[in-house]
Amino acid sequence: MVAESAASYEALQAQDNAITALFQSRDYELVAPAYLQPADLFLDRMGEAIRGRTYVFTDPGGAELCLRPDVTLPACRVYLERTPKSDVEARFCYNGPAFRFQPGGAQAARPREFRQAGIEYIGGADRASADAEVTGLALEAVRSAGLKDCKIRLGDLGLFEALIQGLDIPERWRLRMRHFFWRPPVFHDLLRQLSSAPAAEPGAVEAQLIGALDPGDIETSQSLVAAYLDKAGIPLDGVRSLSEITERLLGRAADASQPPLSAATLRLIEDYLSVSDAPAAALERIAQLTRAGGPDLSTVLQDAHTRLEKLAETGVDLEDATFSAEFGRDLEYYTSHVFQIEMPGQGRAGQIAGGGRYDDLLKSLGAPHEVPAAGSAIHTERLLAAVQGGRA
Amino acid sequence: MRSDPLILALPSKGRLMERAGEIFEAAGLTVRKTGHERGYRGEIAGIKGVEIAFLSAAEIAQQLSLGRVHAGITGADLLHESGAVASGRIELLRPLGFGGADVVVAVPECWVDVSSMGDLEEVAAIFTREHSRRLRVATKYINLTRRYFADKGVTGYRIVESLGATEGTVAAGTAELIVDITSTGTTLKANHFKMLDDGLILKSEAMLAKSAKAAWQKDKQTVLEEIVLSLDPDC
Repeated sequence: MVAESAASYEALQAQDNAITALFQSRDYELVAPAYLQPADLFLDRMGEAIRGRTYVFTDPGGAELCLRPDVTLPACRVYLERTPKSDVEARFCYNGPAFRFQPGGAQAARPREFRQAGIEYIGGADRASADAEVTGLALEAVRSAGLKDCKIRLGDLGLFEALIQGLDIPERWRLRMRHFFWRPPVFHDLLRQLSSAPAAEPGAVEAQLIGALDPGDIETSQSLVAAYLDKAGIPLDGVRSLSEITERLLGRAADASQPPLSAATLRLIEDYLSVSDAPAAALERIAQLTRAGGPDLSTVLQDAHTRLEKLAETGVDLEDATFSAEFGRDLEYYTSHVFQIEMPGQGRAGQIAGGGRYDDLLKSLGAPHEVPAAGSAIHTERLLAAVQGGRA
Repeated sequence: MRSDPLILALPSKGRLMERAGEIFEAAGLTVRKTGHERGYRGEIAGIKGVEIAFLSAAEIAQQLSLGRVHAGITGADLLHESGAVASGRIELLRPLGFGGADVVVAVPECWVDVSSMGDLEEVAAIFTREHSRRLRVATKYINLTRRYFADKGVTGYRIVESLGATEGTVAAGTAELIVDITSTGTTLKANHFKMLDDGLILKSEAMLAKSAKAAWQKDKQTVLEEIVLSLDPDC
């Protein structure tokens, strides 16, 4: 990246100040989360894939740190530092840099250092209203900066969760589906495997043990595995316990006698994931898919409807929005509502802002209980480029 | 006017140094140190325009990828780990038939429910739920590990960098599994590890490689060809 010119720096600064002022006028407190963050927090939550995109380094004291690749998690840490009990509502806004390594080299649309202006609404019990608030405010901010003709894309990861909860399948399959959901090609392979031959070919030792175990009797099975290890002189190294190892063996034993995923269920999941339409029509289609005796999605669908109503009240034009069942599959910490504000046909450069609900994140960072939270972030350099491009 | 020499990097210590020396000797290329005996510069008797730089094996991979040396001998594991082979900054010229060892994924032998990379991803999912953190993989091969795990669709893990005694990390409680280099498997076995059936990441051996980033004037190309030809008279 070439250094920004004084003129573009001033324009960006003016735009960002106006956005921050708007957020502050709506009672969002300006906070400044640290740029340097413990690498652990990101790696444990987002997996190794994020390391490939994150500047991770060891400081002179030996601590593994990173330059924040995202500001939501650092903002959550500010909240937890201030309110360890996590028992109050907080509205935070921030405006500052985030850093991401660009494997193909840094370019204008893919900078390695970029600014985000964002809001986080933590602890708001009325989820639909909070979702609408953070979405509506992000939209208002980009519009007041001069952005025209942007489109909104919506999704809801809670629907997928409810869908697989409602399927008549073993819990261990659900776990795998949930785990693989974020990686569409692998997820597709998993579905294919479950619908043809659910039991993967076991190795020699496993086959021998699996044959000897009684799925109905965990305790005896556990002592059988212990006896095997003992006889072979294998110590129980590491933190995975004997019961974890035994339970997974039993799961594999059960898979061996489990009928494959039915064709109807396979089609249901695939049909669900292919839904993409105007929001009302998309929700109607999902209701239709699950109406005939399938999983009961009525509660989540009702929540989604309520959210749409609140969004409409906030001034979001839903006629022009798209709801995709698959949208949000690349952002591991979101749990429900997800959205993006984009300029159609401009690829990544057109992804101006985005956000969603992340109800599990605070607890995983140390909050004593689940804390509802939602937020949004604007890529301010892209916003400026889109606004200036539109004007030219 | 004397032009700059071709810089050839050779390992400065250990088995790699000995074997590289032997292979040059057998090819009729006598490598000798210039300056004092403990120095890190040398030359090849009878070939002009070559300067030998004695460096550590890891440094050779790094200097090749930066273009600060023209060619060098080091382990394929280090060359691939640098990322410079995939990006074209380093070109592998020929394997040298020594220093063979495998970079492998190994799990504790007590994981009787795990024999493949597919198992590993499933265990990763369960482990994250049970222990509220990711499965940790100790290794010095951060890039090779990340690439191989991604190829196999394994993502629910995190790497813990280990710069020595990697096979001790599980017993020490700092990792759940390892990616390590092994020539015979004895150390892994003695520490109660087993390799996964599809856990072979790379078959490594000593390799002559050239840097695509270095300045390659015609005379340097000629000198390198002369050396390669001596090492490999059949081709």
